[in-house]
Amino acid sequence: MSGPEVHHLFHHPIADHSFSADRQTLAVARENNVDLFHKTGSEYKLEDELTGHDKTVTGVDIAPNSGKIVTCSQDRNAYVWEPSPQGWKPTLVLLRINRAATCVRWAPSETKFAVGSGARLIPVCYFEEEDNWWVSKHIKKPIRSTVTCVAWHPNSVLLAAGSTDGHARVLSSFVKNVDERPEPSAWGERLPFNTVCGEYLNSTAGWVHSVAFSPSGNALAFASHDSTLTVVYPSGPEQAPRAILSVSTQVLPFMSLIWSSEAEIVAAGYNCEAFRLQGDESGWQLAGSLESKSRPGLTDQREESALNMFRQMDLKGKSGTDDTKLKTVHQNTINTIRSFEESGSGVTKISSTGVDGRVVIWSL
Amino acid sequence: MANINWRTINIDALDPDSPANFDVSSLTPAVAPVSTADVQNNAQQIRQLLRGGDNEGALQGALENPPYGADDKGKETHLATVTEILQSIRQSDMSPMLSRIYKAPGGTEALDVLMKYIYKGMAQAAPASNTRNLTPQATGFSQIHSRGGGEGGGQAMSVLLSWHEKLVEIAGPGSIVRVMSDRRTV
Repeated sequence: MSGPEVHHLFHHPIADHSFSADRQTLAVARENNVDLFHKTGSEYKLEDELTGHDKTVTGVDIAPNSGKIVTCSQDRNAYVWEPSPQGWKPTLVLLRINRAATCVRWAPSETKFAVGSGARLIPVCYFEEEDNWWVSKHIKKPIRSTVTCVAWHPNSVLLAAGSTDGHARVLSSFVKNVDERPEPSAWGERLPFNTVCGEYLNSTAGWVHSVAFSPSGNALAFASHDSTLTVVYPSGPEQAPRAILSVSTQVLPFMSLIWSSEAEIVAAGYNCEAFRLQGDESGWQLAGSLESKSRPGLTDQREESALNMFRQMDLKGKSGTDDTKLKTVHQNTINTIRSFEESGSGVTKISSTGVDGRVVIWSL
Repeated sequence: MANINWRTINIDALDPDSPANFDVSSLTPAVAPVSTADVQNNAQQIRQLLRGGDNEGALQGALENPPYGADDKGKETHLATVTEILQSIRQSDMSPMLSRIYKAPGGTEALDVLMKYIYKGMAQAAPASNTRNLTPQATGFSQIHSRGGGEGGGQAMSVLLSWHEKLVEIAGPGSIVRVMSDRRTV
């Protein structure tokens, strides 16, 4: 297993990041703008800047097939950016919310996207050909607080949302004439817009940071601020779920999670490192960190020689080891992890970004 | 009309969907109410275990069913029980006992409860020892409290601090975060 690929882009927090389908372009949310980096050789070079938002950008997502970029910001707006010969062409999407937008994700069908917001609702936006305009439709009930994260089911109709009221919810975002009628699944059979297919609360009701459907869409995982990760297996529409498994971890809370396969989740957050969790319907447990303990950087630190110590004292006037550097690759909280490379059996590489301005690509 | 200061109008009160207008109890996990008498009975049983020398059984019994649904008096009673158990366990027994509880089924939950009582105990230990000359401050945080005051408070605090240290070694910082985010208080 090769070591992680680290790209230190700048000294600003990265709220969200997204790679294009060919992994050559990387979009990162940096303050009020979205920076586009292009891969040249082994590095990512700043290529373009998407300016338009006038408050912090909170979410960015590149649609893998169409290449359109959607961004959302605390200025309560979303933009859809389309490539054109003159550069990126923005289209404003009126979300009709009175609080900040917190996150945005394209549906797998790429005809819709969902935005989380502080206005206790989820605008689901789709393109109206007739009016040449993005329309937003609100999922309102029964959300009681800020929506911190959204995630799509593979059928592009079901949407999972985590909220600061401690609930992870599965909701329907079916839009007539845009979506095809979905196959009945364990989550529900008839799914008109705003159907609540499930509402889950863990034992402490800590607010939810991240939600995700398993690759098949038949299980839901969410991570909350009480350092737990909960996996829900539904049994059928209108029935209590088959199993709700909660893992109370010893580490700090997770900010982001992805399923690498049906039996493995990778989650990362305030511990500045990514962890694997493994399990199935009978139980889940923390399986360890992604950081390999024999990384070159680490051995350097361990081989603290006497020469080094005196050199440190001479040059910097300090003794002992440098304790301002964490032993993890990321030097601050990890905000987002995403799938970078997939094979038939699941995700094989993931990318992570965090408050330290680094983008790291990990092999699983 | 001209005299209305628009900036001070509480717009949330006028919005039927606003959080000011719904029952917040729906956001917290349901807890069953527990009467103070039940808590006291439970405390009697635990004390008997303690007298019989079964410290670990007493601790487990006390952490198994924390009275989340009890009123303030019931919660105080249970805190006193837990504190008594913690003080009667020797320092060298702490770590082995905690790891045994951690490995038992439902162990993480029990240790989270213990962490809650340690923090609650720390919040209480000081005022009990120094009740004179205290005026509550506007901030709700008194400097005199945190100085620890008399010897008794310091003693209780050092017991709690050594438990805290041992507990973090086993349950990790995750346990502390759970105490802060948990809506079920002890």
